[in-house]
Amino acid sequence: MNSRMDVVGHSVERPDAFDKVTGGKGYPVNVRLPGMLHAKMLRSPYPHARIVRIDASRAEQLPGVKAVLLPKDVPQIKFCPVFFVPAEAPSMVLDFDVMNGEIVRYVGQPVAAVAATTAAIAEAALELIDVEYEALPAVFDPEEAMQPGAPQLHPNSPNNIAVNPSFVAGDIEQGFADADFIFEGVYETQRVHTCYMEPRVCVVDMDRQDNITIHVTTQHLFGTREKLAFALGLPESKVKVVKAPYIGGGFGGKLELTAMEPVAALLSKKTGRPVRLEQTRQEDFITTTRNPIKVYLKTGVKKDGSFTARYAKSILDCGAHATHGAEVINVHGAFGLFFNYHAPHAKWEGFTVYTNNMIGGGYRGYGAPQGSFAVESQIDEICTKLGLDPIEMRLKNARKQGEPHPFNPAFTLSTYGLPECLRQGAEKIGWTAAIAAPKSEGAKKRGFGLAVHPVWVSGCMGFPDIYEHSGAMIKLNRDGTADLATASMDIGSGQIVTLCQIAAEELGLPAGAVRMSSQSDTDNVPFDAPTHASRVTYSSGNAVKTAAAAAKKRLFEVAATMMEVSPDDLEVAKGVVSVKGAPGKSVTVAEVARRAESPFVQMTPEGPKPTTIEEKGTIIGMASLSPKSNPTPCAAQFVEVEVDTETGQVSVLRAVYAHDIGRVINPAAAEGQIEGGFQQGMGYALMEEIQFDPETGACLTSDFLDYKIPTAVEMPRQMDSIFIETNEPTGPFGAKSIGECCVITPAPAIANAIYNAIGVRFTQLPITPEKILRGLGKI
Amino acid sequence: MKQMITLEVNGERHELAVEKDATLRDVLHDQLNLDGPKKGCDTGSCGCCTVHVDGLAVYSCMRYAVACDGAKVLTAEGLSAGADLHPIQQSFIDAGAVQCGYCTCGMMMSAKQLLDETPRPDEEDIRHAIAGNLCRCTGYAKIVDAVKLAADRLAG
Amino acid sequence: MALQNLKDFHRPDAIEDVLALLGKDEETLILAGGTFLRGLEARGLLSGVEALVDIRRVGLDKVVADNNGIKAGAAVTFTRLRGVVARQQEAWLGGLADALDRPPVQVRNVATVGGCIAAACPFFDVPTALLALDAELTIRSSDGERHLPLPELFDGLFANTLEPGEFITEVSLPRPPGNAAGAFLKLEATANDLAIVNVATQLSIDANRVCTRACVALGGGVADTAVRSAAAETILVGSRLDAAALQAAGEAVISDIDPMSDHRASAAYRRAVAKVMTRRALERAVARLA
Repeated sequence: MNSRMDVVGHSVERPDAFDKVTGGKGYPVNVRLPGMLHAKMLRSPYPHARIVRIDASRAEQLPGVKAVLLPKDVPQIKFCPVFFVPAEAPSMVLDFDVMNGEIVRYVGQPVAAVAATTAAIAEAALELIDVEYEALPAVFDPEEAMQPGAPQLHPNSPNNIAVNPSFVAGDIEQGFADADFIFEGVYETQRVHTCYMEPRVCVVDMDRQDNITIHVTTQHLFGTREKLAFALGLPESKVKVVKAPYIGGGFGGKLELTAMEPVAALLSKKTGRPVRLEQTRQEDFITTTRNPIKVYLKTGVKKDGSFTARYAKSILDCGAHATHGAEVINVHGAFGLFFNYHAPHAKWEGFTVYTNNMIGGGYRGYGAPQGSFAVESQIDEICTKLGLDPIEMRLKNARKQGEPHPFNPAFTLSTYGLPECLRQGAEKIGWTAAIAAPKSEGAKKRGFGLAVHPVWVSGCMGFPDIYEHSGAMIKLNRDGTADLATASMDIGSGQIVTLCQIAAEELGLPAGAVRMSSQSDTDNVPFDAPTHASRVTYSSGNAVKTAAAAAKKRLFEVAATMMEVSPDDLEVAKGVVSVKGAPGKSVTVAEVARRAESPFVQMTPEGPKPTTIEEKGTIIGMASLSPKSNPTPCAAQFVEVEVDTETGQVSVLRAVYAHDIGRVINPAAAEGQIEGGFQQGMGYALMEEIQFDPETGACLTSDFLDYKIPTAVEMPRQMDSIFIETNEPTGPFGAKSIGECCVITPAPAIANAIYNAIGVRFTQLPITPEKILRGLGKI
Repeated sequence: MKQMITLEVNGERHELAVEKDATLRDVLHDQLNLDGPKKGCDTGSCGCCTVHVDGLAVYSCMRYAVACDGAKVLTAEGLSAGADLHPIQQSFIDAGAVQCGYCTCGMMMSAKQLLDETPRPDEEDIRHAIAGNLCRCTGYAKIVDAVKLAADRLAG
Repeated sequence: MALQNLKDFHRPDAIEDVLALLGKDEETLILAGGTFLRGLEARGLLSGVEALVDIRRVGLDKVVADNNGIKAGAAVTFTRLRGVVARQQEAWLGGLADALDRPPVQVRNVATVGGCIAAACPFFDVPTALLALDAELTIRSSDGERHLPLPELFDGLFANTLEPGEFITEVSLPRPPGNAAGAFLKLEATANDLAIVNVATQLSIDANRVCTRACVALGGGVADTAVRSAAAETILVGSRLDAAALQAAGEAVISDIDPMSDHRASAAYRRAVAKVMTRRALERAVARLA
């Protein structure tokens, strides 16, 4: 590995930061088009009902109302709205529709929409739409939904089972027979929201010839194009999705088409004007979530701590439509439950189950947090019972660098720095001394906990039907800078700066000399898979590096002609192309770029001089490719907590997070990812939960007054990030990726630390103060 | 029926006809085309829309525009002009406190009131001063660093 | 959500104008800081309002602090009152200072003393602190002025006893006798939360350090309104405020509260922590006694 690079590995300033501190233009929420109308959707108050009749005549009369959209106006097409798979992906469930006129299956399902001159008028018009419903029995618990006689949500899914994946390795009965001890537990996780700060919003212009231009909060430019076109029965090329320079957070929450985009498009066509549809925070809370999963986990262990067998059954509540739930269950089974540790005999059964709850969605970690909570809690229980060291126990059973990839036989775990993550993390928090004698004062008990987890980076293959490839275009400018254009969305995690750094390093330009185009759309940049699955640094980064390498090849050809040397003899750094071993003989990148775009005859002080045909042509590079692997970042998380045994409140005092993410492209950005990931994981562990009225199915936590996420006050005062920089051979400059590890381990680490503090094991998230007091027998 | 109000926004005086139930945020965003006061919740809980009204930080989504008639409003756009940034803005960049950036403008306005009143805040002062501003990207660590840095710079 | 029936948004300059506007045959609401009112509107709970009357320009924004105590106009913001309280540096105002610290700065800067009381929201912090301070309200109507002890204003969840045409103009906080100190504690999920349980305590002692006066107020869903705990106060008065007395007072609040169960906490949890928070708030007040 290049031990020291000029641009990669440095905390280069984000080029987007200036815009963001001076007012923050460039988000979809700020798009204002002349003549724009405002739309609102009417949503079902019933969790399960038949629509008998819709009468919008009163709404149409309201002054200012320009159009009403009813189910009969919407193409009735069933498809999978998840961006990273084809709309008719055979591995997914094709049960989603934009607005059906027959059945509502959750509270909040859109049944009509209005476009008006103001949002207030549109909202007032909703109250004038009369919908007659015939209530149907509803079911909210997935295990009840699987019972015979439960209300059925979809015709072709007996017992409400949307998908039922499974796998078997070895002989599970034999494995348990080989065990000295068997541990069983049931671990339950809750429904949580990603809580991106920018609400879902779109501004759509659809003309009489069905040409659509859409500005939208999305994690996937091309996914939006494909799904919106599909939902409306149009060819993809009819839809132009404009890449917003910035998106106000996503975290997996803007990874599928919802009714919003097609409804706004159809209203635009009806009115002949652009239509803006902005969801309220209440609507966002019932649009996507992380699926709750209940895990039955049974593990056979030898006296020495080695696993002999592992059986798990996972029940995932996908809500009214399968959407992401059909894939989350797979990632959960493979990576959430069975990646961390070897078990010679293993069996898993997964159930994605329909209920009359809101539709689940994508959320950072994508099934792994739910699995990790079970696995990393139970291994702690095993260590406690058998008196084993939790670090040694994990290392004994963990997968190791160089081993075959457990789910992708084509790969080996080429880099997997888990042992070093554990060692350095433990050293930083002072694990050995800390765990032996946690400090406590009176009613406040302290404890330490740890958890580890690997993550799957979307790369070249893996789960069926997933789009993987990335594209990039790069162009050198005559002033020695370069323009980069990709479809990769920066949702806040630093994709712009990271990709620009990779391009700059490859092209030998200074940091800051590569600029991300702010004028891209699906017409003018190549396809890229979504910003999801920890993939952008690795996958998009590889495309950017390859495009930059192509531009560099052309740069050297032109420079070689200018300098009358062979291109093979050239190198470039800090914006200067020079002959290897002869640093004095050089030209700047700017000079080369100017030369390539110069007129055929150049005027010089010495008089007119011809250039050659071979030198002509803007220096560009392009790539569209899949990288060579699906690498595996991993992390070890250590926390110290303080539990108030009188109120049940838990404070996380300190977090130490050691990550192997391969080569770190931008350390400050990577730290920011980890600190933010920990915040989300901590909220998941201790406070966050979307709750519903058990009778009506209505959401009780639909704003930030009722759905609590950590503020600056609850966060630990000390957060340490440690990077174990393995050099991933297939990664751009050795990088893997960072997006998700950091959000997966906080919940089990905190649960383990709470156990260490008070001796009570919690197997249901979130571990609220109330649960703590119940666990302590105080209520 | 709209109502006429006067606002001085970032030093510029505006006569505006506003809906009686319009919030200050909606008027700033929709009528004055300011992007700084962002809608994150519209219920006074997230802080993305924080602006200063007569020198004090408020949730602009919780103030009726009519009730602000005659007020001086400062948004993130008004913190600085020209090439130089306000020390708070520069510190947010330098400390790496900006990720998705959606909370940033509101966060800086809360930080500004703190630093206006408490030039040498300690870490707890800072954390409590931004407790009314939610961020989902950063874990707040680098935001706290940014406010400390800004305090140092403002104190010279 | 919009105020679809709103016809008038008044910003009068005098109390008489407020009274006149309240006398009109319209569904009229008084607006001060507006954080509660706008919060209701945002949740679609205020669609019938026809007129708003902003009382921030009618001279109700003054605070007088002297040896008799504090008188604050109804439109005094938390930020302004907090400044006055901080300058007083008086132990008896400790609980109020604690409570005024709790809302986020964006709320403190606009929320008002009168507004937070009139809201009759049991989850707010400042009313609980005012309850422990024996706050008395001045109420105006076209018939004149009347005075009301704070507890008599509360009439259940989000309901007050104000008659049509009446509004709160002033809150008086009498200085308690002798060596006095107060404290307030809040249990919340995050620092930007409504109270799950909050407790304000107010203690006075004589020269022998025997408790001569005790006020214990609780809020945050321990009942439909913030409440005083007579049982706890009875235990404290006459005691030496030792650990046993504080513990017993904490236990005693159970008989004066009737907590609710909601999505934020169960009644059982509120009951359990009400005891703990009361004891701790008493300890905090005791530590502040001179």
